[in-house]
Amino acid sequence: MTVALLRGEYMQVEVRVFSGLEKFLDQKRFGEPFSVEVQDNWDLRSLLDHLSIPKEQVFTKLVNGKHQELDYKLNDGDRVSLFPPVGGG
Amino acid sequence: MPKILRVNMTTKEVKFEDVPEKYAALGGRGLTSQMVLDDVPPTCEPLGEFNKLVIAPGLLSGTNAPSSGRLSVGGKSPLTGGIKESNAGGISSQKLGSMGIKAIVIEGKPSEKGSYMLKLSEEGAELVAADDLAGKGTYDVTKICRERFNDKVAVITIGPAGEMLMPSAGLTNNDTEGNSSRYAGRGGLGAVMGSKGLKAIVIDCNKTFDAPVQDSDAFKVAAKKFTKILLDHPVCGQGLPAYGTNVLMNIINEAGALPVRNFSKGRFDKANDVGGEKLAEVAKERGGKATHACHPGCVMRCSNVYPMPDGKVCAPIEYETAWCFGPNLEISDLDVVAKLNYICNDVGLDTIEAGCTLGVLAEAGVIAFGDGEAAIKALEEVEKGTPLGRIIGGGSAVAGKAFGITRVPAVKGQGIPAYDPRSCKGNGVTYATTPMGADHTAGYAVTANILKVGGHVDPNKSDGQVELSRNLQVATAAVDATGLCLFVAFAVLDNPEGVPTIVEMINAQYGTELTPDDVIALGQQILKVEREFNAKAGFTKADDRLPEFFTTEVLEPHKTKFDIKDEELDEVFNF
Repeated sequence: MTVALLRGEYMQVEVRVFSGLEKFLDQKRFGEPFSVEVQDNWDLRSLLDHLSIPKEQVFTKLVNGKHQELDYKLNDGDRVSLFPPVGGG
Repeated sequence: MPKILRVNMTTKEVKFEDVPEKYAALGGRGLTSQMVLDDVPPTCEPLGEFNKLVIAPGLLSGTNAPSSGRLSVGGKSPLTGGIKESNAGGISSQKLGSMGIKAIVIEGKPSEKGSYMLKLSEEGAELVAADDLAGKGTYDVTKICRERFNDKVAVITIGPAGEMLMPSAGLTNNDTEGNSSRYAGRGGLGAVMGSKGLKAIVIDCNKTFDAPVQDSDAFKVAAKKFTKILLDHPVCGQGLPAYGTNVLMNIINEAGALPVRNFSKGRFDKANDVGGEKLAEVAKERGGKATHACHPGCVMRCSNVYPMPDGKVCAPIEYETAWCFGPNLEISDLDVVAKLNYICNDVGLDTIEAGCTLGVLAEAGVIAFGDGEAAIKALEEVEKGTPLGRIIGGGSAVAGKAFGITRVPAVKGQGIPAYDPRSCKGNGVTYATTPMGADHTAGYAVTANILKVGGHVDPNKSDGQVELSRNLQVATAAVDATGLCLFVAFAVLDNPEGVPTIVEMINAQYGTELTPDDVIALGQQILKVEREFNAKAGFTKADDRLPEFFTTEVLEPHKTKFDIKDEELDEVFNF
């Protein structure tokens, strides 16, 4: 019961990294979703620091499919997708 | 002196002509569209004697300007009924530029049956019978021509789909390794070539970077600067070489703009299985290549070489193709995608149109979504010319009519590519309004909508999309005239030195005194020419609209509809 309550204090976000950013994470493949527990005052910058992904390597930060900046405050259940510069067509 | 090569398929006369003053400063799309407006009656039958096929290298093709080997092919489209410029990589454009050939014009129509080959070298040009090539796939044709002449030749050819006059047949040419996969795919120009009895054009010339340049010192400086501009840009210098165009699969999916299940949803849970990262991984594992240049001197090298389980290679698999045979059909097997791509390359069909058409067939229940084997089997009908094969070769609009399907993703009869217009609204404006029929390359608003290149315009809102599409359509028309790959735009949009450096190269080559403003004027002029042709062919504002279901059906995950008003769409060409 106590454990469940403690867990309840943390929010979880679902993270995916792509196009080479996976090299900064242990044992994660591109596009493989993983959950990260975040504190309620965390923004995207805190998340990148926590994951040890260099901010300058991340060009596009989509949260729930929309572009956000580093100061975006995370919400429980956010889908966070991180990309280096990509393009094509 | 540059020449125009005119080939009359009625009389079999082949002649070189001086370039009229009017065309001297034009190249690529600028030249093909102007010549089509000047010489093709807009109301003519696209597969009849009065249509012409115009093949032109860009202004810079055949120089050592980086990534400048794009080929423009123009004519009246049997798919849309309007003007068409279809743009391809491969090795033909640089050879034509190096030989001083401004354009090849294929005109007339033979009264008798038979297949011909145009053989072109520095000694001259001749039309020869090629009945032995009739009915063959493009890979075979290219292989035979490379064996018959030499392995340096460029082979422009059509497959059985073009010979059978299918409205979505493309024409292809080869890369350095001989893969006949560099397509001027869109709009059915392969059928126009087929209607004239021309199976192949063989360019036997070993020159690549020999186009005449007036001030070679100034050119060298500008070309070097332009190379640096490309390589310094993160997309052109790093993103494209690493994963190719299919790197887009995941970002478009995450952005919720990936058309899934014939444009029913904006996300596919297995998109990653057919994305660029996976493609690069498999290609490397199997001894293929994750990066490859479609023509010599390209510094972005966004192509790839994908070895298939049957021992053949598909080179390349582009994003739009991976999308149309993947998420659009709810197929998540890259080997199936590669096979469908290869069949199209061989039989001579535009991949995007084929994928959109299979999506319509799946909507109709002719094949099932997610059934790769059924999709392969259906596409194999094209070569046999069966009724189903001919419906597939007819394109998405034809398939919709044949099977009573109204959810057909097409504008002006041409299938909509890999970005849903409800959550990439800038592209929606381009699909609706470009004179080409739905075409993502004509004004690639994915840049500012999703990639954050050249600014940012929220893809889910209508604000700013008309202006964005307008500016991109103008810039694209100009780039397509230069022979530069459109992908230089990623760097050019972000670097103020980009356009001036392109102008420096053109000025050094031609001794002109153009300014960056002239580039905008050129782009606008090309669009005016194309719209004039379409207006004379019977197009009106009503043709500049998206299919109704995009305005009535809500797209997940962003719950969007296409809501840009008709009056706003009519303001795109307000110059």
